[in-house]
Amino acid sequence: MSRGTGAGYDRHITIFSPEGRLYQVEYAFKAVKAAGVTSIGVRGKDSVCVVTQKKVPDKLLDQTSVTHLFPITKYLGLLATGMTADARSLVSQARNEAAEFRFKWGYEMPVDVLSKWIADKAQVYTQHAYMRPLGVASMVLGIDEEKGPQLFKCDPAGHFFGHKATSAGLKEQEAINFLEKKMKNDPNFSYDETVQTAISALQSVLQEDFKATEIEVGVVTEKDPVFRVLSTEEIDEHLTAISERD
Amino acid sequence: MGDSQYSFSLTTFSPSGKLVQIEHALQAVGSGQTSLGIKAANGVVVATEKKLPSILVDETSVQKIQLMTPNIGVVYSGMGPDSRVLVRKSRKQAQQYFRLYKEPIPITQLVRETAAVMQEFTQSGGVRPFGVSLLIAGYDDNGPQLYQVDPSGSYFSWKASAMGKNVSNAKTFLEKRYTEDMELEDAIHTAILTLKEGFEGQISGKNIEIGIIGADRKFRVLSSSEIDDYLAEVE
Repeated sequence: MSRGTGAGYDRHITIFSPEGRLYQVEYAFKAVKAAGVTSIGVRGKDSVCVVTQKKVPDKLLDQTSVTHLFPITKYLGLLATGMTADARSLVSQARNEAAEFRFKWGYEMPVDVLSKWIADKAQVYTQHAYMRPLGVASMVLGIDEEKGPQLFKCDPAGHFFGHKATSAGLKEQEAINFLEKKMKNDPNFSYDETVQTAISALQSVLQEDFKATEIEVGVVTEKDPVFRVLSTEEIDEHLTAISERD
Repeated sequence: MGDSQYSFSLTTFSPSGKLVQIEHALQAVGSGQTSLGIKAANGVVVATEKKLPSILVDETSVQKIQLMTPNIGVVYSGMGPDSRVLVRKSRKQAQQYFRLYKEPIPITQLVRETAAVMQEFTQSGGVRPFGVSLLIAGYDDNGPQLYQVDPSGSYFSWKASAMGKNVSNAKTFLEKRYTEDMELEDAIHTAILTLKEGFEGQISGKNIEIGIIGADRKFRVLSSSEIDDYLAEVE
């Protein structure tokens, strides 16, 4: 019976290839890039900011319904890069999980706990053949009561790390190179610097200047630990500040 | 476990009698970051490389060496996400034992149960083996112990062992340096030297992790400044 003996099925379901790799997981990473969108996240001294492109492929689409930024609770945000349908499924489950956590334990689900939950779910899909991995890279942001601003990224393989800055999607590597230079000396960005670093990173990597309607920006700050999506006016202010600075 | 759609095992025998999925899993382990463990006369030390994908990653958010119980710790080589599943299951099993017997679980029992889980995933329907090998270190009534568990579910007790990328050089190095009456402090130095052997780049308290347990029976992970102190001693 030709079934899972390394004779080709290692590419169809998540079993090991002869080199010890999981092809389905690697393909899931490619699916994240195939969405054609790049996202950036930056953690400052007292705030976290995430930015993503807002690609509306058809003028007839209702722009307000096109989004990759999802509030999970009042205090936690999730930026999903990759397949939108997978993202919505994940967000729906994450919202449920966070609400149950609050009910069961009496305090808000922390950022790292939610990230771990997402990553553990992703791991299950890499080990059980009946479900494929999700084609989504998630950036979770929030203010932790003890540790301050937190930015975590979870990928289809089930890895998750805390980041000072990170990127996901099509131009992920270029963005990370850009951010590594900026964050090399552990700068402690203020709120404005955090937002502007994130936006200018995206602009630099995609080599185009944006209009406020072409990007989505989400923030949490220690002053106001609620997850907020910036309005077009606020985004415009930051864009102006960036162009004046250069 | 496994869905009814997949009520057949994905790990099946090849004509030559091998379980190739397990062999591939061992390949995944062999391409993982190096880790090692040394059993001394009065304690155990485990150590691992902690190479992160970018300087942007907050290394304080990552801890590869985990506790299973206050007196048993574990380090892995291979796929990080898989190790989290095993750590979670083992922690629960340790608690269930304690609830039943009102005694901390002996290391041999915990190792056996962890290994049983790993074996299940080589035989159950619709799942693949774990892509990790674990080094379980602890100190109980039978003294300091070190066990290695492989993706197949087989486990052995070791005086010193290594896993991951640099396994053959590391094991040769350990064979030369190991002595039966080693103290924990010597073992820590030897562990660092072994890691240093195959280390690419500058070794520091930020890109390796060390866990120790002594006669106090409290497993703990050293802070990066403590590791830096040991590194200075070893220079």
